[in-house]
Amino acid sequence: MKKLSTTLALAITFVFSAFCVDPAYENAMKKQVAAMKTIRTLEECQAVTNAFLRIAEAKPEEWLPLYYAAYLQTTAVFRFDVNKDQYLDQAMELVEKAEKVAVDNSEVTAMKGYVLMGKISIDPASRGQSLSPQVMQLYGKAINLDRENPRALMLMAQMEQGMAQFFGQGPEKACGLARNALDLYAKEEAKVSGDYILPTWGKGQAEQVADACK
Amino acid sequence: MKIRLILFFYFFLSQTLVFAQTIVSGTVLDEKSKPLPGVNIFIKGSFDGASSDAEGEFTFETGESGEQILVCTMMGFESQEISVQLSGAQLRLQSLILREEFNELNAVTISAGAMEASDEKKSVILRPLDIVTTPSANGDIIGAFQTLPGTSTVGNDGRLFVRGGDASEVGIYIDGLKVANSYGTTAANVPTRNRFNPNLFKGTFFSTGGYSAEYGQALSSALAMNTKDVAARSQGDLSVLSVGAGYSHTLANDKQSISLSGNILDLTPYQALVKQNFEWERAPHGWDLELAAQSKLSKGGMLKVLARTEAGGMEVWQALPGIDGKGVLVNLKNRYSYAQTNWRKAYDKGWTLFAGASFSHNKDQIRYDSAEIDRSNDLSHLKLTAVKDFSGRVSAKNGAELFVHSYAENLVRSQLSRSFEDQETYLFTEWDWYLSRKFVLRGGLRTGYSSLAEKGWLDPRASLAYQVSENGTLSLAAGRFHQLPVDNFRVLNPNLQNSQAKHLILNYLLQKDGLTFRAETFYKSYDKLVVFQGNPQSPSLLQNGGEGYAQGFDVFFRDRKSLKNTDYWITYSFVDSKRSYNQYQAQVRPDFAPKHNFSVVVKHFVSSLKSQIGASFSFNDGYAYTNPNLPGEMNSKTDAYQNLSLSWSYLPKPNLIVHAAVTNVMGADNIFGYTYTARPDETGQYGSLPIEQSAPRFIVVGVFLTLSKDKNANMLNNL
Repeated sequence: MKKLSTTLALAITFVFSAFCVDPAYENAMKKQVAAMKTIRTLEECQAVTNAFLRIAEAKPEEWLPLYYAAYLQTTAVFRFDVNKDQYLDQAMELVEKAEKVAVDNSEVTAMKGYVLMGKISIDPASRGQSLSPQVMQLYGKAINLDRENPRALMLMAQMEQGMAQFFGQGPEKACGLARNALDLYAKEEAKVSGDYILPTWGKGQAEQVADACK
Repeated sequence: MKIRLILFFYFFLSQTLVFAQTIVSGTVLDEKSKPLPGVNIFIKGSFDGASSDAEGEFTFETGESGEQILVCTMMGFESQEISVQLSGAQLRLQSLILREEFNELNAVTISAGAMEASDEKKSVILRPLDIVTTPSANGDIIGAFQTLPGTSTVGNDGRLFVRGGDASEVGIYIDGLKVANSYGTTAANVPTRNRFNPNLFKGTFFSTGGYSAEYGQALSSALAMNTKDVAARSQGDLSVLSVGAGYSHTLANDKQSISLSGNILDLTPYQALVKQNFEWERAPHGWDLELAAQSKLSKGGMLKVLARTEAGGMEVWQALPGIDGKGVLVNLKNRYSYAQTNWRKAYDKGWTLFAGASFSHNKDQIRYDSAEIDRSNDLSHLKLTAVKDFSGRVSAKNGAELFVHSYAENLVRSQLSRSFEDQETYLFTEWDWYLSRKFVLRGGLRTGYSSLAEKGWLDPRASLAYQVSENGTLSLAAGRFHQLPVDNFRVLNPNLQNSQAKHLILNYLLQKDGLTFRAETFYKSYDKLVVFQGNPQSPSLLQNGGEGYAQGFDVFFRDRKSLKNTDYWITYSFVDSKRSYNQYQAQVRPDFAPKHNFSVVVKHFVSSLKSQIGASFSFNDGYAYTNPNLPGEMNSKTDAYQNLSLSWSYLPKPNLIVHAAVTNVMGADNIFGYTYTARPDETGQYGSLPIEQSAPRFIVVGVFLTLSKDKNANMLNNL
């Protein structure tokens, strides 16, 4: 009888550690996701990126820390004075690692497109022709993988807006996508609680695209 | 009881883990003992760690204990792992030193002689898109390169001439594999084009001298073109031009893609509309089929296949001096096939392997008046290379190559034929050594052996680059280059040996966002060039007796920034070259080496018109020729050459382009030399005829439509 209960207890401990998310991981992520929102300087950005990279190193089976590190590397290019190509190349490496952990993940796929979009922005005239189709394809794939992912739609809206400007076309398509994205952001907000560590960024960018339609 | 014990230990142990904290601190420095901020320092396998601050200082607490591994990582630096003993409450580490990692993005690159066209790399001079949009190029890769420093435009030839070298001195490669007969076969004074479509390539590397030991059998220049990777989407591309039409279909998924394309070309309707200087019996015409496939293999390998087959021809009267009437009728038929496959894969520990094989077959049937000649040329090329990166500061590229080359000429009526077969083997090694981020040395050796010439040779090459300012680089390159004579000479004398050139190049390159300034000066010596008795149509007594030199400088300036939506580049090349070669016994300036060469290309995008408007202007001071009425060889020079070309590309929709271009808008009457009668007339003078352009202008109008069946795109249209 005692033996049985021991076995049961051990089994439960096992099941517990296997199926429930590691609380240390959860806590570490929560802390950095919160810290990410207060970044003001390149140093702070680097510190949070490093923290995500440490988590990724310790939990190689998780895609989220890699994803956030890639996200921070990419946004650093737009916010701070850094070696843009170097930052984006590193971001791409991280996305590719995340891709291996989470195959056909909508967020990771959209992030890959976002990194490439950053590459285009450095030299649109010469990189646009070869990279734009890849970016569009990645966003399209991200949308297909998860129809509730507002970031995939928002990024597609940004891309459509840029293309429409380049070709001197109306913003209707971009606006429609941005409005749809905003609806999804509203849905997403309803799910978000204090413990939520999955991506939530991008609403402001969607609003910017939608604002251009007024 | 037992379970209590277990739980007790479980909690007890976890409590100890929480409470036994060690504070780890230290400083991270670079190799010059300067503090490194932003370094990620952590205990391997835990979340515990920190980033270094502006003074390179870091401090963090960890609950790990015992022997652990401390990792320091930072972008652009080599990661370091050290073993630490976590026992006390504090651990202070002596200064940790991180070594910088050198790569193409942050270290100096050698730019002597080199010009790259790529979307990615930093030392680019031209981008792939520029090749298609240069007005004077008419979509020909070579045409675009003729606006770059070190090249001369020879308007009645169309091939690439580099720094006083003739066109055969330029080696052309696709994915590292040599392409024989890469230009279309053409009649004398009808300019040719490169057979390969610029859209096949993602980047090109063009060197005007001092190039890598990877390339041989080229005295003056190497032009290496790299094919595209897996296509992003399935699509169809339709093109309709004033001179032909084509369709290309691409099927793609994440892992692989395949494109099949076909084109037809016929200048008959065009020549009926636009007056020509030449008398055509049959305008240039032809068709081609092309297949390109790319596949990403598991674990990061890439496999590519490219195949092309084409046929074409023309029939034209060539006027002769001193003879009334149309002259001589030249009829030309060409058949060409090319196939290659290559595989590349990067392995752990810095190894990259490449293997490739190519085969080309060219057959020309030429009828010149009553003579009929068939020529066929086959080339197979096998190549293996292995690149090894040692620690990011030293890298080595080693390779082995085999060429099997056969050539045959057949005089159809007299049933005379001659041929040769040659096997060449090569080994090369090249070492790059970064002494610092600002200073790189490269040394290479290439050895070759030809079975026909029964001779081996050795070519040393060396170059270095030093970063002199934030955006400026000085590079120096030197080397020896060997090349076997052209096929139609070797078939006459199989004992002919290599011709030889030595290059010395000094280059300064300044690149700052959107601005490029490049200046280069060079000296090149030629030795063992082929000389013969008689004239080029019937040479005899061929031998390696010629020599010469070329020296000069060139300047290039490109600005994509100062003027809004405008991109322009200006090139000036000065070449002073003399050589004894072919029938010339004394050292003379060759007819393909004008002294002063100048070109400007301007492109301007007008958003309101959804159009790109382009203009290019080329100028040189004239071509040398021999006037038999005066003493000496190459004793005269033609008037200056000039060509102003304009183009207009209109993009009404993202998938539709309407393109129009006119070369030589001003209708300049360019003369490339003169042909003379074989014998003087009764007044003792040799009669002459100018070698002129086949037409004053060339006009091309085309519509390019992309039909994408991409499901995502369709899906989005419905959103």
